[in-house]
Amino acid sequence: MIFTGILMGFASLQPVWAHPMPNSVVLLNIHADRIDAELQIPLVELQSAWGHAVNDSSAGLVERLGPQLRDYLKSHIRPQSPDGRFWTVSVGDLTIHESQNPIVGVYRELTAQVQMVPPAGEDVRQFTFHYDAVLHQVRTHKILVSVRQDWAGGQLAEAEPAQVGEISLDIVNDRLLPLAVNLASGSTWTGFWSMVKLGTQHIAEGTDHLLFLLVLLLPAPLLVAGRRWGPFGGVGRGSIRLLQIVSAFTLGHSLTLLLGALGWVRLPGQPVEILIAVSILVSALHAMRPLFPGRETWVAAGFGLIHGLAFAGTLSNLQLDAGPMALSILGFNLGIELMQLLVILLTMPWLMLLSRTPTYTYVRNGGALLAGVAAIAWIVERLTERPNAVTHLLEAERTHVGWLLAGLALLAGWASWKNSRSASVKKPIL
Amino acid sequence: MKKTFSFTILLACFLSAAFFACQDHTVNPGTPGGTTTPGSTTGTTGTSSTVDLASSLTVTAIMSSSATTNTTCASATGLAKIVCLTEAFKATLSSTQLSTVQLTYSLANAQKWSNLPANLSARYGLNLASLNTAQLTAFRNLMVAVQGLGTANEGYDELLGNLVADNYLYSNGGGAGYGAGNFFVSIVGTPSTTGTWEILYTGHHYTQPYTFNGPAGSGYTPAFRGVEPTSVVSNTATNQSYQPMEQERLAFAAMLTALSTSEQTTAKLSGTYSDLVLAPGKDWQFPTAKSGLQVGSLSSDKQALVLNAIKLYVNDLDATTAATVLAKYTSELANTYIAYSGSTSVTAQNDYIRIDGPSVWIEFSYQGGVVIRNTPHPHSVWRDHTTDYGGTK
Repeated sequence: MIFTGILMGFASLQPVWAHPMPNSVVLLNIHADRIDAELQIPLVELQSAWGHAVNDSSAGLVERLGPQLRDYLKSHIRPQSPDGRFWTVSVGDLTIHESQNPIVGVYRELTAQVQMVPPAGEDVRQFTFHYDAVLHQVRTHKILVSVRQDWAGGQLAEAEPAQVGEISLDIVNDRLLPLAVNLASGSTWTGFWSMVKLGTQHIAEGTDHLLFLLVLLLPAPLLVAGRRWGPFGGVGRGSIRLLQIVSAFTLGHSLTLLLGALGWVRLPGQPVEILIAVSILVSALHAMRPLFPGRETWVAAGFGLIHGLAFAGTLSNLQLDAGPMALSILGFNLGIELMQLLVILLTMPWLMLLSRTPTYTYVRNGGALLAGVAAIAWIVERLTERPNAVTHLLEAERTHVGWLLAGLALLAGWASWKNSRSASVKKPIL
Repeated sequence: MKKTFSFTILLACFLSAAFFACQDHTVNPGTPGGTTTPGSTTGTTGTSSTVDLASSLTVTAIMSSSATTNTTCASATGLAKIVCLTEAFKATLSSTQLSTVQLTYSLANAQKWSNLPANLSARYGLNLASLNTAQLTAFRNLMVAVQGLGTANEGYDELLGNLVADNYLYSNGGGAGYGAGNFFVSIVGTPSTTGTWEILYTGHHYTQPYTFNGPAGSGYTPAFRGVEPTSVVSNTATNQSYQPMEQERLAFAAMLTALSTSEQTTAKLSGTYSDLVLAPGKDWQFPTAKSGLQVGSLSSDKQALVLNAIKLYVNDLDATTAATVLAKYTSELANTYIAYSGSTSVTAQNDYIRIDGPSVWIEFSYQGGVVIRNTPHPHSVWRDHTTDYGGTK
């Protein structure tokens, strides 16, 4: 799945009656010992507050006025702990880009990465946020403060930012008040658990990961007969093959998830996503005719390495410190395994049952054909970076997977019943 | 075999049940991209309106007359006449339209106005495009009775000019959320000469409420005035030209430039204002302390210039009502304050003026262009410290 869109989604929220001027946005990423904040400040309002024609000539602004901008922001961002001590604030990357909302249309804004560190021993979760950039001068300006990520509080950047409050003029008393930030206490357990949930969600929504695994498992219960798939190889043998394939896939993706999340291996998203679609196509072909009989374990491990890189992309987007990152890798992977296990438990009994019947040839080839079509559609989508009719359909039908499973169960029941009747006529054993 | 088979059936049932029970954990129907809707301004209720240009031009053509066609209410006067004309308008509506236009009286219903076009901020009631000629004429008869007549770009003429300007925005980049057809009327509360009720007329750059409290008095605010474009616009039905807010802008410039340097220093606000402070939604939040320069400290000719600016809002009402309101504001003029930010010539973005009296509150903000980019346009609000929403808090 391509998750890059999530981080871009948050734009300036407007109240019901609206304001024709764009507002500032402050997005907080809560770490154990500091807060990283991203500020989004519309240049038209910054110019009204600070001058320097920042909006009229925004080209080369950061090169031209970087140090002054950092000083300006630093003097207007002053978090304060309950004991009265102020935090250490440093301003990092500054970028200029275009933003848009339906009321004002396209406008340019400054994005600043700011680090806020409380004095030693002070909590990052309780502070008074003295923030009045732009607002110190432009009395009609508004600053929306949200938490984008709070690992220990169980909130991940995957979800929509949680609004903490708004900093704006107290009109009645004509004064500017700081914003009191009191985040509910967090814990390592909460952070870990939210990663487990994210892992399960990732597999549940990641149709491509699931499809790869299921298609690879389709011929697992069968014996090879020459260049074709043969009859059922027995429950014991089938279960062992299944276990081997799943374990190999897990081993593969765990390895690259770890390496990728730690930043040791980094591949661009697009080729990884394309390779994942290719992995489905290969295992679909294999499910029709044995391409690599007996070596499914190695293939599963190999493609596992690729799927792991996609999982890692999700984690490296979170920008976590080492400790939480280690726990996140563990929790995320655990979630993936749990969901994988659930899917296998829900599907494999039916496939095992079916594989003892003649009907299975159709199920296996039909399933493989559908998976192959889906894989090709994904390859095209990921090459062209444009969704097509098939991927649209897959996305829409994703929620109906329960019916598919029920259908599979019914089919398995019916085929077994029919088979047991014909079998009991021919050779009354068992 | 039979035993194995019934066991598998049992297992099937169990696993299927387990799957469906867990379904909300395993399948998330949301798209992973999770796009947030930026600037979602439409409320959960009301109508988001878009109308084609032809309908808006038809509306404008029918509204382009200030002569009344109503005869049945001619003998009535004052509030009784307004009730009569409102009932006459309601009588032209179908039962479906009636149930849309007639709301129960509540502050929440009265607060359903905005300075945004109706596709970005939903309104209650009926939009003008949904009215046929007879219905629109009955509505026009009502508005002509409650608006000032006979002055170009003031009163009913200003209302009309605003419709023409919004039609211009439709054709110049604004699109179907703009135009006369997207202006709304609602009747909040049952029309009567004794109870509380309101006529609320609200569209993009123009909102005018009329709240009646029987003998207890009435309120005509919060009223919003703005316009884009600021240049002259022409009514295609009549070839009449309009510049609905230009007199207001000039009146404020005259008021400020007449001040001495030291008076200007006192009147000047330290802050910058890129928009109105008591904008739509900021109800009953008048500042406790008044800012700027006290009008009572000025010479009488300068005081007259302040009153001139106030008149351009109050005289939008019918002459009798306007005289009553203006008498009150005049008596309070000495204790009224004027303040500004930006330039005194009222030509640049962020130029801002405020008139704050014991009762009157007027703000004028020259702000960045939205549809017509890089050209400032005015937003302005007239409020009253005691009679906003007829006093309903």
